[in-house]
Amino acid sequence: MAMTSAVSTRTSVKLAASDRLLMRLSMPYRIVATACGIFLLFVPMLMTFYISLFDQPFITFPPRGYTWRWFTELYADFGHPFMVSLQVALAVVVLSLLIGVPAGIGLSRYEFRGKGTISMLLLSPLTIPSIAISLSILTAAIAIQQRTGVVLTGSYSILVVGHVLIATPWVVRLCLVSLANHNRAVEEAAASLGATPLVVILRVTIPAMRQGMIAAALFAFIISFESLEMSLFLVSPGISTLPVATLNYLEVKVDPLIAALSVVQIIFVAAVLLVLDRFVRLGRNIVH
Amino acid sequence: MAEISDRVRRQPDSVPVGLATLLLGPATAVVAMAMVIPLIAFARYGFNSYDRIELMKQAWDIGNYVRFFSDPFFLGVLLRTIGMAFLATVLCLAIGFPIAFQLVRTQSRFKSIAVFLIVLPLFISGTIRCVGWMIVLARGSLLDTVIVTVSGARIDLMHTTLAVLFGIASFNLPYLILTLQSAIEGVDMELQQAAEGLGATPQRAFWRVIWPLAFPGVVVAAILSFVLAMNAYAAPVLLGGPRFQMMAPLLYWEFGTQNNWPMASVVAFVIMGTTLLLVGIASALLLRRR
Repeated sequence: MAMTSAVSTRTSVKLAASDRLLMRLSMPYRIVATACGIFLLFVPMLMTFYISLFDQPFITFPPRGYTWRWFTELYADFGHPFMVSLQVALAVVVLSLLIGVPAGIGLSRYEFRGKGTISMLLLSPLTIPSIAISLSILTAAIAIQQRTGVVLTGSYSILVVGHVLIATPWVVRLCLVSLANHNRAVEEAAASLGATPLVVILRVTIPAMRQGMIAAALFAFIISFESLEMSLFLVSPGISTLPVATLNYLEVKVDPLIAALSVVQIIFVAAVLLVLDRFVRLGRNIVH
Repeated sequence: MAEISDRVRRQPDSVPVGLATLLLGPATAVVAMAMVIPLIAFARYGFNSYDRIELMKQAWDIGNYVRFFSDPFFLGVLLRTIGMAFLATVLCLAIGFPIAFQLVRTQSRFKSIAVFLIVLPLFISGTIRCVGWMIVLARGSLLDTVIVTVSGARIDLMHTTLAVLFGIASFNLPYLILTLQSAIEGVDMELQQAAEGLGATPQRAFWRVIWPLAFPGVVVAAILSFVLAMNAYAAPVLLGGPRFQMMAPLLYWEFGTQNNWPMASVVAFVIMGTTLLLVGIASALLLRRR
C-alpha cells in the first residue's frame, strides 16, 4: 500500500514537470502560429491593395503619390482575356449544371451496381492534376485533327470542355449535399400517389434543390473563371483566359496595374462567396 | 397493398434503369470522352520515341521512363519537387493545426468572418495569389527597402527557394486549415473535459486523447497539401524564376519548348502516379477510421 502510493507520487511529479513545460510553450506557440498564418495569407493580399494605388508605373518606396487611374486603365489591357474568361465561365455554368444536376440526383436517389465506380469517376477530375488533363485534351484534339481534319484546337469549345470537367464534380457534390438534407418522404409520398419516377424528379426533387443548384452554378462559375492549370495548354493566340494572360504579364513585370487587376478579382470573388454563403455553409462543403 | 408496393419500390432492383441511365449517362460520357480516353491516349505517347526531325515516332519502349529515372536533371527536378512539397507541408501543418484547433474551439462571433477569410483565397487563382508575394518580395518593395536601409546590402528575395516555399505554403494553407478543422470537429471534445476531470492538465489531455484521435485526419490533410505542392505551377514559375524547375513547369517546358511529347507524357504520368498513390493512401486511412 505504501509502495504504490510512493510510485504514484513519483510519476505524478515527473509528469507535472513535462506538463509545466508544455503549458508554458502552448500559448506562445499558438500565438506565433496564428501570426505566421495571418502573415502568409493576408500580408501579400493587403500589400496588393496598397500598391494598386501607387501613382507610378513601378514599385518603389515611398511612392510618389496615390491614384485610382490603374483601375480605369484595366479594361484596355485585360478587357479581351476578361471577356474570354467570362464567356467560357458562363458556358461552363450551363453545361456543367445540365450534366451535373441529373448525375447528382441519380447518385443520391438510386442504388445500383457500379454506383461507387461512377461516383469516383465523376469526382476524379478534382484529384487528377489539371495540368495533365489539360495537356492530354490538347494532344487528343491534335490527334483527331490529324485523322479527320476537324479543327478543334484554338477554339473556345476546347477551353469549355476542359473547364466543364473540373466544374462538374463541384456541381455533383453540391447537389448530393443539398439532396442529403432533403426529406425523402415527400418523394415517396408523390410516388405512392401514382407519380412516375420522372415526374417525381421534375415536380418534387428539382424544386427542392433550388438553393443547391444556385450554389452549384456560382461554384462552377468561379472554378472556371479562376482556373489557371486547366487553361495552360488549351489557350491559343487570341483566346487567352484572364489567369493565363495575368501569368504572361507577370513573367515580364509586376506593377500597380497588375495589382489593381488582382484587387478587382479578389473583391469580385469575395462578393460571389458572400452570396454563396447564404446557400451553403462555406467551410463545411468545400473540403469533405 | 400500398405497404407492399412501397416496400417493393425501395428494393435496389426496382431502380428504373432507363431513368438512371438518362440521369447519369451524359456526365459519365463527358468525363469518359474528355478525360479518360485522352489520358489513356496520352499515356501511350510515353512509350513512343522522340526524334529531332519527326518529333514523335511510333514505338513500344520504356526508354523515356528509364531516362527520367536515371538522368540527374529529371531526377533532380523530381527530388526538388518532393522536397519543396515536404517543406511546405511541414510548415503548413505547424501553422495550420493551432489555427484549425482554435477555429473549432472558439465561440467567438468573429468565427464566421475567420472562416470566410480562410475560404476566400481558395477561389482566387494561383496567379493572383502570387502577385501579392511578388509585390512583397520584389526589388524596390517595402521589405527590400527596409533590408537595404538597415543592412546596407541588397539581398535578392525574388527567385529564391524561400520565395517559392512561401508561395506554395500560402497557397496550401487554407486547404489544410479547413481539412484539419473537419478532422478536429470529428473528435468528441467532451473527451477532453473527461480527461481534465480525471486530473489531466489541458495539454496532457490534448496530447493523450485529442491528438491521437485527430491523427488520421492530420495525415489526410498532410497528403492533400503534399499533392497540391507537387502540382504547383504558378509559384515556381513566378517566384522561382526561369531556372527554378519543378514538375508542373517541367511538363510545360518539355511540351511547349522542347516539343518532346513522349517525355512530356512521362513527366505528366510521374506527377499523376505520385498524386494518385498518395490520394489512395489517404482514402484508405479515411475508410479505416470510419
